[in-house]
Amino acid sequence: MTFDESDLRRALDARSGDPSPEYRARLHQALAQPRPATNWTAVIAVLTVTVLTAGTIGILVAARNARPQGGVASGARVSTPSRIVLPSYAKVMAPNSTVVWVLIDGRLFRSTDQGNHWQERPMPPQFGVRAAISFIDDQQGWLLAPGSPTTQCGDAAAQIWHTSNGGATWTQLPATGMAAAQCKENISFVDSNVGFITAWDDNHRPVIYHTSDGGMTWSGSPLPDPPDFTTQPGGDTLRASWVKRFGTTLYLMAFGMQESGQRQYVFTSNDGGATWRWKTKVASPYVVMVTESRWLQLVWPGQSYESTNGGQQFHLYDSDFHTDTPVGGPQIVFADANVGYAEGRGAVQRTTDGGAHWVRIKTPGT
Amino acid sequence: MGNDRFEESLERVLDPAFRLAMTILDERTAAEDAVQEAALKAWRHRTRFRPESDFRPWFLTIVANECRSARRARWWRVLKLAEILKETRETRDDERMDLAAALGRLSLHHLLPLSLYYHLDLPIEEVARVLGCSENAARQRIHRALAALRPEMALETDS
Repeated sequence: MTFDESDLRRALDARSGDPSPEYRARLHQALAQPRPATNWTAVIAVLTVTVLTAGTIGILVAARNARPQGGVASGARVSTPSRIVLPSYAKVMAPNSTVVWVLIDGRLFRSTDQGNHWQERPMPPQFGVRAAISFIDDQQGWLLAPGSPTTQCGDAAAQIWHTSNGGATWTQLPATGMAAAQCKENISFVDSNVGFITAWDDNHRPVIYHTSDGGMTWSGSPLPDPPDFTTQPGGDTLRASWVKRFGTTLYLMAFGMQESGQRQYVFTSNDGGATWRWKTKVASPYVVMVTESRWLQLVWPGQSYESTNGGQQFHLYDSDFHTDTPVGGPQIVFADANVGYAEGRGAVQRTTDGGAHWVRIKTPGT
Repeated sequence: MGNDRFEESLERVLDPAFRLAMTILDERTAAEDAVQEAALKAWRHRTRFRPESDFRPWFLTIVANECRSARRARWWRVLKLAEILKETRETRDDERMDLAAALGRLSLHHLLPLSLYYHLDLPIEEVARVLGCSENAARQRIHRALAALRPEMALETDS
């Protein structure tokens, strides 16, 4: 059986498409506007050129992260109309059954009543675009501020900030031992001393940094390839997401592409994160560990799965969880066996019965 | 590169950039997000762009990287566990698979050179710049991508 060049071109054409006039116009508008209407008067007085530069960046950021009630520029997301008109980038952290933190569009919020009421908390002076947070209670937490990466995440600086008073003040940590190589993506502290930062790039195995002194010094160890995964330059690499601790065992999720498709794995460590061992393969990178034995894969009603034996077998799970998130998937975190939160494109949901039922709660800052 | 020149350059490459994102991601919303993200990054790093360089391969490289990230993160690739074995069986039964489906199963490593060369009709020199390799290596990438597209299918070309 053969195909010719025109068949291939037709098949590629069928997958392709042109940008819509609306998309083109809004992208053009975002780039054409000289500056956002933000309170940068003092900066303008100092250096007009700098403001013009920063203003355009602000507009682009605003266009990317449509904030419905924000004061920044047009606030228009350059895409087809979303089913959820909310900011697109958020991190949720639930350290215990009552406290939940949300970092959304560069603003930090804390709730001490399961998300019923929110209080905005200060951020560090520098936190970048894709910051990540980890809190162990309503006071103590860390913020990872990734720097701008080189191509394919070859190198990227990162700053680590710490607060012990709920964000009222932040201290930058020296982060000794953190290499320049790779993009630093996620931060997870399991207590006041022990924490992890995941790093990845498109050409090497991911590195999991761990600290046992509250983030002052870090040691990195590469994540080994599972038996059916071969790290290859050009994108066939693993990328780690969450780290959780149950008892003395650490669990880590990593996912990546192979020639045959996407793969995702759970790794474990019994030496505090110095070494990691592949434990099992899972069907989705969005599997969440509720407890050490109970794992959930929440998609939408009728397509959610549960494992009660640590991921060995999954069965259909009756949950009303659903999300409108088209890209990137929902971010789901559990504080304990019952209380959990899900976030997708800024919409936040909460469960108090272990994932069976979910209710939409107010997204802070909207 | 100044704002006006950047905007003009972006306008000129928006169509091929979007088509590249569409062929790789096969989903309009994801393609819009990827191109938008690429535009943001390109603007931030525009000082790295050398005036003598061609804007198109530079921007397409950024778009390709954004598409790579998007493919890694896309969650609709979630497989229902009950379908894993079924999918494996269907994969083996690929006699019924058409070219479009084969493209859908192709890895980004192979899909990208095919999109650049056969869909955007870029010259091999420009394909090589986007892929970050030599022209000979780019030709090999295309050849291997064709082989991976359908091992039992052969592409009939004049050359």
